[in-house]
Amino acid sequence: MVKHPDERRLELLQGTLDMLILRTLQWGSRHGHGIGQAIRAQSDDLLKVETGSLYPALHRLEKRGWLRSEWGVSEANQRAKYYRLTAAGKAQLSRERDRWSQLVDAIGRVLNPAPASKE
Amino acid sequence: MRPDRDDLDEEIRGHLALGIKERTERGEDPTSARLAALKEFGNVTLTRDSMRGVWRHRWLDGAEALCRDIRFALRALLRVKGLAATVVMTLALGIGANAAIFSVVRSVLLRPLVNRDEDRLIYIRQTAPDLGAGNTTFSVPEINDFKSRVTTISAFGDFSTVDFAMIGLGGEPRMVKAGVVGGSFFDVMGLRPVLGRLLNAQDDGPRAAGAAVLTHRFWTTSLNSDPGVIGKTIRLGPRAATVVGVLEPSVPYPADTEIIANVVTSPHHLGATMVTSRTHRMTELFGRLAPGASLDTARTELTAVHAAIMREHPEAYSARAGVQLSVKKLRDQIASPARTILLVLLAAAAVVFVIACSNVANLILARSVRREGELAVRAALGAGQGALRRTLLAESLVLCGAGAVLGVVLARPLVAMVARYAARFSVRALDVTVDSSVLWVGAGLAMAAAVLLAYVPRLPSPHAPAGLGLASGSLWITPGTNRRLRIFATTQLAFSFVLLAGAGMLLATLVTLQTANTGYRNMRQVIVFDVPPSATGVATPNGLDFFREATRRVSQLPSVEDVTVGTVVPWRDAGLFPGGTRFAVEGYTPADGEEDPRARLRVVGSRFFAVLGVRVLAGREFTDDDGAGGEPVSIVSQSVAQRLFPNGDGLNRHMWWTDPYFGKPLPRRIVGVVADVDDESVVQRPVMSIYMPVRQINYGGRLFVRAAGDPYALVPSVMRTIREISAEQVVERAATLDDVRAEMLSPERLNAFVFSGFAGIALLIAVVGVAAHLRHAVGVDHLEIGALEDGLTAIRRAPRDEGTVELIVRRPAVDERELLDEATLALDIGIVRTLALVASRFFDHVQLPGALPLLGAAAVLIGAAVVASLMPAVRASRVDVLQALRSE
Repeated sequence: MVKHPDERRLELLQGTLDMLILRTLQWGSRHGHGIGQAIRAQSDDLLKVETGSLYPALHRLEKRGWLRSEWGVSEANQRAKYYRLTAAGKAQLSRERDRWSQLVDAIGRVLNPAPASKE
Repeated sequence: MRPDRDDLDEEIRGHLALGIKERTERGEDPTSARLAALKEFGNVTLTRDSMRGVWRHRWLDGAEALCRDIRFALRALLRVKGLAATVVMTLALGIGANAAIFSVVRSVLLRPLVNRDEDRLIYIRQTAPDLGAGNTTFSVPEINDFKSRVTTISAFGDFSTVDFAMIGLGGEPRMVKAGVVGGSFFDVMGLRPVLGRLLNAQDDGPRAAGAAVLTHRFWTTSLNSDPGVIGKTIRLGPRAATVVGVLEPSVPYPADTEIIANVVTSPHHLGATMVTSRTHRMTELFGRLAPGASLDTARTELTAVHAAIMREHPEAYSARAGVQLSVKKLRDQIASPARTILLVLLAAAAVVFVIACSNVANLILARSVRREGELAVRAALGAGQGALRRTLLAESLVLCGAGAVLGVVLARPLVAMVARYAARFSVRALDVTVDSSVLWVGAGLAMAAAVLLAYVPRLPSPHAPAGLGLASGSLWITPGTNRRLRIFATTQLAFSFVLLAGAGMLLATLVTLQTANTGYRNMRQVIVFDVPPSATGVATPNGLDFFREATRRVSQLPSVEDVTVGTVVPWRDAGLFPGGTRFAVEGYTPADGEEDPRARLRVVGSRFFAVLGVRVLAGREFTDDDGAGGEPVSIVSQSVAQRLFPNGDGLNRHMWWTDPYFGKPLPRRIVGVVADVDDESVVQRPVMSIYMPVRQINYGGRLFVRAAGDPYALVPSVMRTIREISAEQVVERAATLDDVRAEMLSPERLNAFVFSGFAGIALLIAVVGVAAHLRHAVGVDHLEIGALEDGLTAIRRAPRDEGTVELIVRRPAVDERELLDEATLALDIGIVRTLALVASRFFDHVQLPGALPLLGAAAVLIGAAVVASLMPAVRASRVDVLQALRSE
């Protein structure tokens, strides 16, 4: 059996997909395919978003008012839905970014304790 | 906002197109690029479903789950068809009864009248409560006073009821009840014609042409809605009138007449007495509130004006009469007599619903006890409280929904029945129709029942040791459940008993009335005809000769035994001479301040008492010799003789009427004493009556014929004979005295019928409830029976002991009777006595129930309980001990 090239890919941590989607839309609107590609490219192919998760997530975010969608024409010359951050979405992105760095920081301390200074 | 299915598809197509484009740009061939893109995308359907799922509301999920539960419930209920059918039938009866009664209540009490601006239509009535006169009506001078002085009423309408002998519009000459109205009447009432025109101001006065409007009911029922009727001429007594229009369907008030005519058709209305006599009262009065006036301001002003009129004419208003004025909205006036009876019925229906719900709750509870095992398993597998409740709710929704559908179907015939019943209290019930309110009430009650039922059973608590329920198989029962079962059973038995006792009470009343001795012994054989005399009927120059001739000719007909004449058909003509007439007798002097005695004045022909079978106690009855030229004579009833001549020496003394109406007193020799008969009331009381011979008074109007065979077989020949004497003479309403009385008793029969219906429904439900309760108890006892026998077997190593089984099986039945005897009966007799007190206020002739109806009701209920307990007992005796134990 040949090892699949995707073998080295990482599973997304639960709850982080929303944050990544919001992040990829930080500088402008994109369609679903573009968002998936952007996450993949920016993570150097380490993260791949399943379409089965991506689209429900997009709709969930839109329902919560963090994204807004409008129809446009894609580079494949076909109608595609473009997503854009709303003001609420921008605020949410910065909240999640803060929480994430706190989490990473905390987990990092547990995994790599600083050299004991008091004892 | 929310994307539809096409939107989601298009978004996915867009994604795939981009994937394919990317790959073909990298050099892959289109086909494999397309396949790869699809592969990369994964399951399209699943993705689309998840996307759609994002947008769906939570309750939609709940509804879908409920649908699933309902399908599940349907399958589950199909496995217990008997139980499901019982529950559905029970609920249908409860819901149907309520929906029907509510429908009638709504039509009679709540719905507005069809009259224009019916809210401003008022009805004015003059009463003399101290004389017992609930409605004295008004005289024309009184109405004219109101018209000239009152400002809060913009217009008055007047209506008086007259009997006309009508000829025309096909058919035979007959008496019709007619309204005679002024030109303002229809405008004040706010009614419209469906055909032609109504009466107006131009129809007023003595020089107008006779004009008549037909009521809608008469036009549709008697004339088949013939549009050609307009312009036809009818004879009303001596006058003629042209039919000018047909009235729209409306509540016939104050009287249900066939035609409504203008004043000129009634010579009486144009006469001096009618126009000038302040005490000649025969007119009903309606009014329309002036703009800005309210009912209260109108009432205040009318009362003040009325008081002023009474001060100005003291001679017309006896101080002892206590004359008063009542001013009401017409709608309230029409509905108020029916209000109490309908509310009582509504309460009875509510009781039936409570019984039905208790019963169904009992059945459901028993079932849920049997399936606690199933529920415990589901709870153990992770079903939350909500999910379990939803399962139960689905089941009860299915049951109650089916019950409601069936109930609404049942309600239709019930509405007709209840409406007929209510019609004797309010004419509005005549046009009750089945409408959508039945549906709403049915649905509402079903929902209420469903929710109630879903919350009755105990759920396996997540905190309590569910394992216990599981381990003991499907029959784990708690004291709490048992208590609830008992409460429901007691409730329904108690309420059934109340309804049964009530029905028993009314039946006993009916039987008493039907078997009462009326004093007439030939009720079945005597047939009576209305042959109205010349005053209102056909003008024959000498009515006396007419009756003499009629009597002679009819008595010669085959199978006629005897014929006589009278003025009053017992019971049917009640109220023609209200209050009695004052008289005096030789040898009796009223004490100081005492008024003259009053007696019912009756005019009868020769052999009257023989024909009707009334006993002559002393002297003789009238003969053909008691004629115009002979000695003035009279016959008194037993009560008169006993009260005024305690020594029994009344015969041959003289009596005379003292009422000024009769002019100079004419002494009449008392030639006979006859037994008391009460021809006005169905409840017999000793009544003072005095009879005078037809041929001395020259007044008749009713022909009594005693037949040898079937009385009704004589009707054609008698009518033909009378028409031979006078072709236009009205002859109608032939009926035997027995049937006249039966018709008078029909309200009582209807009362008993309606309440028996309710009681029957309640009993049916209660029997089902008791059976289910015991069946459940037997279910629980499976275990006990099994366990006990097991013990016995173990100890005695003996085969199964039939005696033990029987002993235990009998236990629940005994329980049930205890339940009945102790809890219910003591409680119920109290309730029934209270109820009877309340009922006696609404129903005529109801008295506190004797022991018989109560004992009867108890016997019926206990009998039903025993029958109901037989089935489960038989079942219990077939319990397979081994199987019962193995199920542990």
